[in-house]
Amino acid sequence: MTASLRAWARRYGALIRAGWLVDVQYRAAIVIWLILGVAQPAITLAVWWSVAGGGEVGGFGQADFARYFFAVMLIDQATLAWDIWYIDRWIREGELNFRLARPMNPLHEAIADNLAYKGKSVVLIALVWFLIAVFWPAVRLPFDPGRLALAAIATTLAAAIRFLTSYVNGLLAFWTTRATAIAELHWGVSLFLAGRIAPLSLLPPAVASVAGVLWFPYMLAFPVEILTGTLTDADAILSGFGWQLVWLAAWTCAYLFVWTRGRRRYGAVGG
Amino acid sequence: MTGGASIVAERLSKTYRVKVREPGLAGAFRALFRPRYREVHAVEDVSFRIEPGEVVGFLGPNGAGKTTTIKILTGLLYPTGGRAEVAGFDPWRGGAPFKRRIALVLGNKQQLIWDLPPEETLLLNRAIYGLSDAEYRRNREELVDSLGIAGVLDKPVRQLSQGERMRCELAAALLHRPELLFLDEPTLGLDLGAQEAIRAFVREYNRRHGATVLLTSHYMADVTALAPRVLIINRGRLLYDGGLTELADRIAPVKRLELVLEREVDRADLERFGAVTVLEDHKATIEVPRRDVARASARLLAALPVADLSITDPPIEEVIARAFAGEATKGVDAAERAGDVGDAGGARGAGVPEGAPSPTAAAPPRKEAE
Repeated sequence: MTASLRAWARRYGALIRAGWLVDVQYRAAIVIWLILGVAQPAITLAVWWSVAGGGEVGGFGQADFARYFFAVMLIDQATLAWDIWYIDRWIREGELNFRLARPMNPLHEAIADNLAYKGKSVVLIALVWFLIAVFWPAVRLPFDPGRLALAAIATTLAAAIRFLTSYVNGLLAFWTTRATAIAELHWGVSLFLAGRIAPLSLLPPAVASVAGVLWFPYMLAFPVEILTGTLTDADAILSGFGWQLVWLAAWTCAYLFVWTRGRRRYGAVGG
Repeated sequence: MTGGASIVAERLSKTYRVKVREPGLAGAFRALFRPRYREVHAVEDVSFRIEPGEVVGFLGPNGAGKTTTIKILTGLLYPTGGRAEVAGFDPWRGGAPFKRRIALVLGNKQQLIWDLPPEETLLLNRAIYGLSDAEYRRNREELVDSLGIAGVLDKPVRQLSQGERMRCELAAALLHRPELLFLDEPTLGLDLGAQEAIRAFVREYNRRHGATVLLTSHYMADVTALAPRVLIINRGRLLYDGGLTELADRIAPVKRLELVLEREVDRADLERFGAVTVLEDHKATIEVPRRDVARASARLLAALPVADLSITDPPIEEVIARAFAGEATKGVDAAERAGDVGDAGGARGAGVPEGAPSPTAAAPPRKEAE
């Protein structure tokens, strides 16, 4: 390992450690956020469960819905992005100032914070899922290491895209005081287009085809479908990874553009 | 080229475009469709040089442009015009190598992690600045000793007093032993004891490491205790660059005779000796020109029933206030009273005449071996 890589490993280690220690202070709040985070997919599952009854809706039976929305709970936590709220505050309240005075782009602090939080929440949800699966066969997934590996890669790319959308949105606070409102709009659209309310195959074909070329499904539905085995066609999986890379590149460019322009515009509030 | 200077600002300017909001619902509605903007010149054409090891006070009322200038010099803000060079770097483009050589301490925004003990921020900064174990141990030990924070490093930041917090903030900011310190209101809101502790530390850090310090403060005591040289800025423009004592000599070239009298005397009797600024019961204060102070004192002691006499300088707060008042009236008053008040880069203060004291009126302190 080169000296530079070692230095970066130490930085990330220290940032993640600090993130964990802060989370320990807020353990009660984190449990509440986790419950709130899984509540929405759980309620949606309950609705589809009763709609499906004993039959099928668009090829989804009760057990399929159960696996789909359990996977949504897990992948949603793994790709969760709250950065908009932090970045918006850093910029508007001048908390960006000391971060800009340090020899490290504040982006790394946000990435490390994500790793610190998600490491815990994903393990916790996976554990709960495993325990429930012991008693409830409907939510069991067939053991397939290859598919799990693909799902892990898709989830990592999804988390990166979702993180960047949130971070870039937060950086809009350089220009507007309404960055958080834009984030709410983004969230609202993602309810439908990311596969949060229903599997994409249940959406009207026109909507599904629009969603297919936007970044929304690649932040959630795509890894969920790989994990649950809904998506097995090799071409479709390859195309999904292709879109993930396209949107990751596009949002990285957006980040570079907004960060460079925004910093020039920065008024450095707070003193 | 800096020519060896630590900080060079050449005709620095920063202009913001601010949306003008008209009052009332109709105004808000109009602003929605036809927004109007106005330009605010936060910093205008500011030039100065600071030599390595100097401690310079940066003075000015709220909104004068002090903090904006500091933020340009630390690379946080992009200047609209002019050029800055700090430690040989263009602050905006200097990146990590530049940031490793400076520290920015903001009295109103802390970098300490609120929920954790200060020790955790030190550990984090050790990694961020890439300090070796030996560097970390050496620098930490020195800072903990000189700031007297050994007993508070393991308490959550939110439980610390404001003074303790600022001392820990300084430890976190200076852990990498920067050669340039930008301190923006480091004593803001602290009690007198805590203020003095911070001053003593800054003085010692400057003496020990030969660090250059640019300090803004609302507390004149910070500046008089630390900075032999001051920059005075108002409405974005530099009004004065020079020694603190020279400033007093130019703006208020008087001494104060504070008298305690054995009996009451008429104001007219006192006015024969100078300008009476205070007269209450048996106490009086008279301002006399500096060059006449010995003669006036002797005459006064002979002529009046004086129980006690002390000779003082006018408080620097008053001197600065007079400088701003002079600038506000287009400098005419200040110019008449002060003779010459300018800035090093060629006087550009509103109405302030040319001819400035030396930009490096204060000799930099010795740099000691580390």
